[in-house]
Amino acid sequence: MSMNNNQNKQDTQKRILLATLISFVFFIAYDFLYLQPQQQAQMQYAKEHPKVDSKNVNVNSVDTNTVGLAKTNAIPNIKEVNKETIASTITTMNAIYEIDSLGRIAQVTLREKKYVDEEGKSLKLFNSTQLKPLEVRFADAALNKKAFDTVVSVSSNKLEVLNNSQVLTITQNLGTTVLTKKIEFFADGHYKLNISTSNNQNYFITPGYRPDIAADMYANHGALLMKNDATIEMIKDEDMDNATELVGIQAASAFDRYYTTVLYNFDKNMQVSVMKSKDDSPESFIHVANKALLYGYAGPKEYKLLKSFNPQLTHIIEYGWFTFLAKPMFVMLQYIHNIVGNWGWAIIITTILLKLVLSPLSHKGMVSMNRLKELAPKIKQIQEKYKDDKQKASMHMMELYKKEGANPMGGCLPIILQIPIFFSIYRVLLNSIELKGADWIWFVQDLTHKVSMSNLMDPYIIIPILMGATMFIQQKITPNQMQDETQRKMFMMLPFVFTIFFIFFEAGLVIYWTVNNIFTISQQYYINKMFETQREERAKAHDAKKSHKGK
Amino acid sequence: MKIINKLFYYLIRFYQKYLTILSFGSCRYHPSCSSYAIMQFEHNNFFIAFYRSIFRILRCNPLSDGGFDYPTTKGKFTKGEFKRIRVKYWYVPKDKNNYFILQNWKINNQDKPTNVNE
Repeated sequence: MSMNNNQNKQDTQKRILLATLISFVFFIAYDFLYLQPQQQAQMQYAKEHPKVDSKNVNVNSVDTNTVGLAKTNAIPNIKEVNKETIASTITTMNAIYEIDSLGRIAQVTLREKKYVDEEGKSLKLFNSTQLKPLEVRFADAALNKKAFDTVVSVSSNKLEVLNNSQVLTITQNLGTTVLTKKIEFFADGHYKLNISTSNNQNYFITPGYRPDIAADMYANHGALLMKNDATIEMIKDEDMDNATELVGIQAASAFDRYYTTVLYNFDKNMQVSVMKSKDDSPESFIHVANKALLYGYAGPKEYKLLKSFNPQLTHIIEYGWFTFLAKPMFVMLQYIHNIVGNWGWAIIITTILLKLVLSPLSHKGMVSMNRLKELAPKIKQIQEKYKDDKQKASMHMMELYKKEGANPMGGCLPIILQIPIFFSIYRVLLNSIELKGADWIWFVQDLTHKVSMSNLMDPYIIIPILMGATMFIQQKITPNQMQDETQRKMFMMLPFVFTIFFIFFEAGLVIYWTVNNIFTISQQYYINKMFETQREERAKAHDAKKSHKGK
Repeated sequence: MKIINKLFYYLIRFYQKYLTILSFGSCRYHPSCSSYAIMQFEHNNFFIAFYRSIFRILRCNPLSDGGFDYPTTKGKFTKGEFKRIRVKYWYVPKDKNNYFILQNWKINNQDKPTNVNE
């Protein structure tokens, strides 16, 4: 029987070790074989296809997609004019908009310092071979063809919008029809568009193809449409299937992980066609009859900025299916960031606040857990007696707790609560442009930095090691009822396993976990001390009684 | 079991087999939250089982007393057949329609247990 039991134990040990190993191998292989090549391929692509400065390059006959809508309002095919010159350049506080000779936004260059790389190159949002924001397509095919052959005239070829808003008027004379785009640019980078035709034409206008800077496997990218009932329709690039039409749309965004180009009007209900681009990504076209008032923006999805345009616009920032918790987490982090001015400290303070909120729960758990020390001999007896039947052991244990009037277990809820908190911080670190490149102290210059497989000498590796150390201490000072030798060994290995696991996570997330551990350690230390003094006092009182009796 | 119940059944089995080391000795109840959930998914329809399992986890915190808390099910028993069976669960009447589900003490792994329910 005991042989059999031993065998069982070894089996369990082997199984758990194997499972841990397999998950690591899977995780590392996924990162190494899938995510990294993807990124490299993208970098390679970016090198081979530099974002061309449209001023001096001819883009020859860009073949815009074939549209399969057999309706009167179908969006027609176009062949583009051969020459593409910049008709107007608008400089705002944070961006440079370039309008091309067909009245479209050819490129947006981000001016802010954090979007300038080491070589002094500013970040350009768009891939010049893709659909451009504010491109108009007429329902009338002949008119449409003409529109793509006719150069526009602009009211000014250079605008500096550093304080008050300024209006750029773009007119395209198509004979019978004149198309007018009045774009009012604001210093903060967004614009207000009044578009109209002289003779009641039906046409479509697009926010363009999504920015092509951070379209990777880590986060979603594609098209996002906000409906008038505050729901969101997201079409990821890889999920784009057939062209669809949606009604009651108030905002149409095309986005990658950090950037967006969006057209919105929260007072209107718009009809939008979502088409397949030439690389099978979604492209949105807003239906317009004669004229429309739209607002637009192209740039980073910064929460504060979007909120200042329109509070509803913050919904275009998405954190995957976990948005419902990740967004409140971000709002909280940002609130604290506004006070302390550093994202690293914001994460730490948020962690401590969350722990404080949960502390009544954990305090009570820890206090009851200290009873374990007193009950230990009896628990050991039960575990010895019923070592072949965990069910039976658990029942007898529960009987013991009932008899003693104490339940030393912390409960499943406190453990499960950790998961959503952890995951929401993970998503915030992944999707928030604000946290990209945000520093903390010392060598921690980027909270979203991850140690890569190829560079384990990275100083950032100190953080997961610190995390492992705090986890080890936490285990040491927490009483537990583990009697089984195998389980105990497995348990002791956990800090080591977690250290390796956390090496490949964002620094900010590891900092969260470390602070979490430190808080738990202090709390546990305080409670242990409290119990110790109580025990001493009781012993003293007992002694005093004894000596009194003895007299 | 329906497919969705089965999915949850195996997910929890996986957790019990490989991940309990992470949450060792936490549960304030007997049977533990995971065993409770497994029995729920085995006996009840998905929504009831899911709701009760979640509610059980919510109760499993230091502010509640914990203790004995057996899952229940509405009993629909067929007439017993006269053959040798291995008992997996005992169904103890709770009230007119409901039965507590009690797991039988360890059953020999070599024999596949037969469920007496239906």
